[in-house]
Amino acid sequence: MLGYLLFSGVTTGALYALVALGLVVVFKATTVVNFAHGDLFMIGGFLAYTLHVMLQVPYVPALALAVVLAFGVGMLTDRIAFRPLMKSNMVALVLATVGFSFMLKGIGRAIWGGRGDYLPFPPLVGFDPIMLPGDIVIIPQQLVVLAGALAVMLAFAAFFRLTRAGKMMQATADNAKAATLVGIRTERVYMLTFGVGAAVAAAAAALMAPLTLLYPDIGFALFIKGFAAAVLGGLTSLPGAVVGGVLVGVIESLAAGYIDSSFLDVSAFVVIMAVLVVKPTGLMGGRQLRRV
Amino acid sequence: MAWLTRRNVLLAGLGLMAVLPGFANPYALFVANLLLIYVILAIGLNLLVGYAGQLAFANAAMFGIGAYTTGLLQVNLGFGYWQALPCGALLAMLIGSAMAYPALRLSGLYLALATLAFAQFTQWVFLNWETVTYGAGGFKVPEVSFAWLGVPSHIGIYYLTLVHAAALFLIAWGIVRSPIGRAFVAIRDGEVAAESLGIDLLRYKALAFAMSGFYAGAAGGLYCAALNFVAPEGYDLFQMVLHKAMVVVGGLGSVVGSVLGATLLVLLLELLRGFKSSQEIVYGALLLAFVIFLPEGVISLVKRRLAGWEEPMRRHAASAEPPPSAAAEATEETGRP
Repeated sequence: MLGYLLFSGVTTGALYALVALGLVVVFKATTVVNFAHGDLFMIGGFLAYTLHVMLQVPYVPALALAVVLAFGVGMLTDRIAFRPLMKSNMVALVLATVGFSFMLKGIGRAIWGGRGDYLPFPPLVGFDPIMLPGDIVIIPQQLVVLAGALAVMLAFAAFFRLTRAGKMMQATADNAKAATLVGIRTERVYMLTFGVGAAVAAAAAALMAPLTLLYPDIGFALFIKGFAAAVLGGLTSLPGAVVGGVLVGVIESLAAGYIDSSFLDVSAFVVIMAVLVVKPTGLMGGRQLRRV
Repeated sequence: MAWLTRRNVLLAGLGLMAVLPGFANPYALFVANLLLIYVILAIGLNLLVGYAGQLAFANAAMFGIGAYTTGLLQVNLGFGYWQALPCGALLAMLIGSAMAYPALRLSGLYLALATLAFAQFTQWVFLNWETVTYGAGGFKVPEVSFAWLGVPSHIGIYYLTLVHAAALFLIAWGIVRSPIGRAFVAIRDGEVAAESLGIDLLRYKALAFAMSGFYAGAAGGLYCAALNFVAPEGYDLFQMVLHKAMVVVGGLGSVVGSVLGATLLVLLLELLRGFKSSQEIVYGALLLAFVIFLPEGVISLVKRRLAGWEEPMRRHAASAEPPPSAAAEATEETGRP
């Protein structure tokens, strides 16, 4: 029981970590929490569904294509909901991303809703569970998901460390003014950042779809979980987001297994409240500065 | 058009609402009732977000707490409506003011997310505490009898809502012109500056959250009687966006703006009834478009075109008597353009 719960917790946790990575990368660069992030996840998942299930594209190219398309939607988020408001206050930025998130949700419902609303995604591998010694049961699909999530994380880290664009993003996140001074076009970097965040969310959605079902309202649930992971990790730390994601997944899985299955939905809330009240800087976040 | 002053327009609106049951059909009356409920909600949210500057997302949850408390006290404990309604509003007010404690430590984004998570938690309670809340299906609430006034129930509820909306409007109107309102604005425009002028942050934040909770709770209790039915989806995220859009479209930091915003958006909501996806797209787009293109809301257009619509918060510099407190001066010093 414990082994199974831990393993499935780590698997879903890895996906939450991907959602959190997108939130954190945007927050670091722009100091904005993208409230539309969950709905970018939803759109990414439905894009993968359209390609793979409706158009019969094989899974891996479908995933890649969904990621590319979601990258575009992410850049659109920047143009619509962030760039016109860059100089505005926090309230305006939050409300704008909330408004955009509902637009995306409505669009998702208009295009993909009304088919029974819960769309199944065929599994990639068989459903026969693997028995490991010590009564640990593993569903092969979970192994695929875990491997996929790890691959995306590694690609993400490599992008930051090795590519020119990744380094520009780091420089902008570090100090936007200084980045402008050395000739980085920060506006483009912000657009790229939103795109990358949405791309990672779409990868997470395409990986998660075979494990769960897709529906237009999935975005907000994932946003809350991804945010719980991000805030647990400190909101500004990429490794923190991964650790936070896995922890949220495990906490959720244990709460559902040992207390009651309905606790699956509420543990993210408990984590958010506990972290914000006890230690708002999270596990790995830097000291919070208060601007006067 | 000098006669189109704010007072004349508001009085004409009130007069129209007062005689409406005489000629409107039941559907139009229900929409008018809904409109009044949303006016209460929008004013309450505007006090918190537009005046005190606290970016809270729990308004729909407070609305739900008011409705569930009012309904459940009647169904489970046999309360009468007249006892249950104040209990719902007071409970929402208490929970609202308890939220000021995390709000002291959290600001901006963190507060937004904490309150959003709280809103999600109340949804979870409505859905999963089935022995008390009847779960996802909701429950029916007995019709409120107005036999002692000799009017049918739906007309009685309509007038009850109208009286509440008018009274709560006047209270909000009075509060934003008082030192309390000036303290709210001072906190919005700079917490540190406000604190250094002797404004007790905890006290005023708690007051703003409590008032906003009370407004939403009262609206919830009235809504529960207007529908005779309470279910979780009436108080979900979409409601939250609806309230936010009303406040933003009307104008952040304007009580009259909230009345305008609620009126416009309720009428729009009726046009789109039954089309969930277009409702989401239209309200999301409205919120986005107003934040970008008209951040001061519809009321700013009205103020520019017509005389007699100035807001009291912005009139002190021109008024004859000097502002009575240091807080008011702080408002002017740090006031936004």
